[in-house]
Amino acid sequence: MNKGRLGCFSASAITAFALTLLVLSGVAFAGGAKMFNPGGLNAQSGEGKLGGVASHAEVGEQCSACHVAPWSADNMGDRCADCHTEINADLQNASSLHGSLMQDSPQLQCRACHPEHRGPAAALVEMDPATFPHETVGFSLEAHAQNADGTSFTCGDCHIRGIASFDPTSCADCHRQLDVAFARAHTLAYGADCLACHDGVETYGKDFDHGRADFKLSGKHTAVVCSGCHLDARSIDDLKAAPQDCVACHRKDDEHNGKFGADCAACHTPEDWEAADFDHNLSDFKLEGKHAGVDCEECHVNNVYKGTPTDCYACHQRDDEHNGEFGTDCSACHNPTDWEDAVFDHSRADFPLTGAHVNVKCEQCHVNDTFAGTPADCAACHADPDFHAGAFGADCASCHTSSGWSPAQYRASHPVVADEGGRGINHGGASCTTCHPSTVYSYTCLACHSDNQGGEGGGDD
Amino acid sequence: MRRNNSELWLAFFAMLGITAVYAVVLAATREVPAAGELFGHSLGIFGFTLMLMTETLYSLRKRSRSARWGKMSSWLKFHIFTGLVGPFMVLLHTSWKFNGLAGAVTLLTLIVVFSGIIGRYIYTAVPRTADGTEIESAELERQIAASDAQIKEWLAARPQMAPLLQRRLDALPDASQAGWVAVLGRSLIEWEYRRAWKRERRKADAKVRAQMAEIEKMVRRKQALTRQVASLAMARRLLAVWHAVHIPIGMALFTAAFVHIAGALYFSTFLR
Repeated sequence: MNKGRLGCFSASAITAFALTLLVLSGVAFAGGAKMFNPGGLNAQSGEGKLGGVASHAEVGEQCSACHVAPWSADNMGDRCADCHTEINADLQNASSLHGSLMQDSPQLQCRACHPEHRGPAAALVEMDPATFPHETVGFSLEAHAQNADGTSFTCGDCHIRGIASFDPTSCADCHRQLDVAFARAHTLAYGADCLACHDGVETYGKDFDHGRADFKLSGKHTAVVCSGCHLDARSIDDLKAAPQDCVACHRKDDEHNGKFGADCAACHTPEDWEAADFDHNLSDFKLEGKHAGVDCEECHVNNVYKGTPTDCYACHQRDDEHNGEFGTDCSACHNPTDWEDAVFDHSRADFPLTGAHVNVKCEQCHVNDTFAGTPADCAACHADPDFHAGAFGADCASCHTSSGWSPAQYRASHPVVADEGGRGINHGGASCTTCHPSTVYSYTCLACHSDNQGGEGGGDD
Repeated sequence: MRRNNSELWLAFFAMLGITAVYAVVLAATREVPAAGELFGHSLGIFGFTLMLMTETLYSLRKRSRSARWGKMSSWLKFHIFTGLVGPFMVLLHTSWKFNGLAGAVTLLTLIVVFSGIIGRYIYTAVPRTADGTEIESAELERQIAASDAQIKEWLAARPQMAPLLQRRLDALPDASQAGWVAVLGRSLIEWEYRRAWKRERRKADAKVRAQMAEIEKMVRRKQALTRQVASLAMARRLLAVWHAVHIPIGMALFTAAFVHIAGALYFSTFLR
């Protein structure tokens, strides 16, 4: 051995170097760049052929089919796009998975997620769950950073049979570890297709704000389990289709047996069944005056609400001091504010009050509060004055009006004075007492005429 | 002279440390570190750098006559350390795939490492001074004589130990063999005798055990010297043969490794 020369410059070393290069050149000549192949290409077939092949494995010996020289203007992604034209189209669509990825990371290469040379059966998709925009495929991983056992999520945790498929049982398997009772109840209530409702950001999960829905939750509704209202829901549409009318859920709670209809909220609030606030004015019978202070049971005996009569007498018969003499329509005279503050419209009676009758106190005609059968003839109240000396009978109205006793108009045939054109006696504007100062059976003309014109008569009028 | 194997321990602990880091990465990523990714690639780069150092630095030192570059034995230790740790890192860099040229490079690496281990074994059959310089036959003869004198002196002071010493000497294998088996199989040949002596020592009381240890030290020293004298020529011949084989394999390894690196740069590192 030459002590002054490095071993690598020895004849045997140089020979080994040359031989190695020769062998490698021979291998390269025979198999191209295959010797650099770090592993077999994927042999899984897609749907149909792309670029003339059914799988990457079919181009396994043509490295340049995918690899481009470092100095080339193209990149490897361009080679992918040459065959995967549908993905190339996706890349232009920002709402698609691939388009979204490229928008976020324009420099991203296909191989970052689709590694190759890992064997014929190896997965062609490999993603970092922490950076992959999983929400673009309809399910965010925001709430899925860790498994139930605290380990980081991997794709295979959910995509048990490959990245292209998803089995909802993987959700149940993991969530049972977190809370077996909840998972079981939830699955029973809503089925096993978790993705039908859940999107990973818990839009319809624990972060769901019912306040954003049409039906806001308040009071005791906030404590009700979801399935209490959303029965047999299997999708968001099912959840949204939950009926919002009270009786859909509360029919069984209706102590009124439907007598108040289906709108519980007209009286009740979600805070408490008992704290009902019935707006009686929404009913046919509005509560006014003292009616507003009456306990419900006073009218609605035995909690029977429907069919409660609205006529006054149904309740107020016992209060009728008129003993039915005025009929059953109390409201004709009385108002709900006060019994005493009654206003009787006498004009509705057979005896309308006119003239001086208007100001006459009721008791003057209706003695002892007896109203029925009160005679309507004048003489029942008005005694025949001595002046008439019983000459005119009981029909006062034949001469008098209700405006006052005087003036009166005698309309019958007068033995002395003639009627003046059917308007009764006028006789120069004289009144009865002008000629008959004491009674109608005596007269004098001298009150107006001189002696020679007449005299105190003893004769007939 | 008892050999110092510190470089082997250092290499062992370094490999243990690297294995621990590898295990952490493995546990964190749940997958074998790929050769082309940061950790796997780093293993390859550093491992190959160590292998290059293994290949060049010791050779350069051997050809330097200046002592200012450090002792030969130290460089050999460094050579052994890098020669074990570097290939180990390269092995981890493979991600346990041995396809194509990369697989061939790994295979050559393992062959070179195995060859290196054999070389070191042959190397230790050639007697050397503390700084690694070879000792010639005359000097060995002188050391054997000194060893004999030491044994006689020790025995004179402890005549009661004569039977025990004689029994040990009688049990020794023949060290005068000069064939390649005597060089390559020396540890194996003496192993059974050493085991029997150890069994006997364990049975003895504490005082005798201490004296037996002294006997063993003297006997083994003389045995080694006797064997080295007998097989010196064969050891040198084997070392030369080993060099003739090891260096071309190493050259083939590095040639293939550089082609592999060029291919990796073209097909992967600079891939756009």
